[in-house]
Amino acid sequence: MAGKIRQMIDSIINQRAKDNPMLERVIKTKLILKGINPAKFNAQSDDDPVVIGKLEKMMRELK
Amino acid sequence: MKIKTALSTKETVEEMASDIAGQLEFFDAEMVLFFASTKYEPEKVSKKMQDTFPMSRVFGCTTAGEIGCGKMLDGSAVAMAFTGEAIKDAKIEVVEDPRDETAIRAAFASFESYFKVPMAEMDPSKYVGIILVDGLSGAEEGLMETIGDMTNVTFIGGSAGDDLKFTTTHLFANGKTYSKGVILALLQPGVDFTFIKTQSFQSLDKTLEVTKADEEKREVIEFNGKPAAVAYAEAVGTTVEEAPKFFMHNPIGLVIEDEPYVRSPQQFKGNDMVFYCGVMEGMELSLLESTDIIGDTKQAIDQARQELGGLSALINFNCILRTLELKQKDLTRQYGELFSGIQTIGFSTYGEQYIGHINQTATMLAFK
Repeated sequence: MAGKIRQMIDSIINQRAKDNPMLERVIKTKLILKGINPAKFNAQSDDDPVVIGKLEKMMRELK
Repeated sequence: MKIKTALSTKETVEEMASDIAGQLEFFDAEMVLFFASTKYEPEKVSKKMQDTFPMSRVFGCTTAGEIGCGKMLDGSAVAMAFTGEAIKDAKIEVVEDPRDETAIRAAFASFESYFKVPMAEMDPSKYVGIILVDGLSGAEEGLMETIGDMTNVTFIGGSAGDDLKFTTTHLFANGKTYSKGVILALLQPGVDFTFIKTQSFQSLDKTLEVTKADEEKREVIEFNGKPAAVAYAEAVGTTVEEAPKFFMHNPIGLVIEDEPYVRSPQQFKGNDMVFYCGVMEGMELSLLESTDIIGDTKQAIDQARQELGGLSALINFNCILRTLELKQKDLTRQYGELFSGIQTIGFSTYGEQYIGHINQTATMLAFK
């Protein structure tokens, strides 16, 4: 499987930044500080379970 | 005046509190934030300050040096008082174990209940958090990550110091003293505010990718597939034996949109490299080179002033390594003077917080 990480990153940024560019930058920075650089993931990226776990934790906080 | 500062160099807790109270006399303080040297018995300070300002929310921490009234000092206490116009409302929570995620969640639940807004939906332009954390806990990265996951509200602050003794730091809140933990204060300012994050480094064209790390211990085992100490020494162009001399002027940083998030080396442990904050496998870090702290800080303050259309007060969380560099270069007077004319308090920290946990940086909360 591939591409799940990119989808999750986009979903987190969309839900949390709500089209606010300043918040979008902050959320990307938070991701990079967690060791997840959004620029490094695309639709072909492998579904690394460690990265997915970190993103799932972030997504849970949105609910 | 909505925000007013005071500074005392008196010798005892009682004299210091009385001195500060005198300088803030007739000022209707809703909230008082203070930073104090460990020369004042930490066990007594919190209660004395709360007793001195019984109608105010009072909190603070110990330091490794203080900033106030246009000066950089050691062995003093500085305080900032806010009227109800400056801070419309505030809620202070103390979590005694900063690694306890459940307790952090409970603190956030308390904020939600108090302000009647879910933290995930709280407007970051209307609320701001101050974080003061035990500077010897080593828990700041996880803490900032947890906070950052739960809210868009910015928490800015510093890791408490203990005058470079590295034994115990103290936090003060609501008349009690804590030797471990974290204070989380959620504020609803009545004036506009912004943030300053300034570090005086430029990125050199040398990348160190963390290929093996012990993240819990803040240790890098390998950069670019080589022993960390060897790779760092090569990057700065010296031997492993000489490389520690370069730590202060050549730390490394995660550069995000041209903005470095500095990771300061602490020591070599064999060929491993220990840092003052977290480094993760896969991170691409850049070798940095120090520039001009005075000039860069002035520029950052000017920018904040321009953004807000005026600047009345600043809370400055200034890394102890910056303070040591300023002392080494005999620039502490010039640094203090940058804040003349602005109501400012601050302290020399064991770590700075803004979005994440960082080093060799000054993070500041600025009020219009």
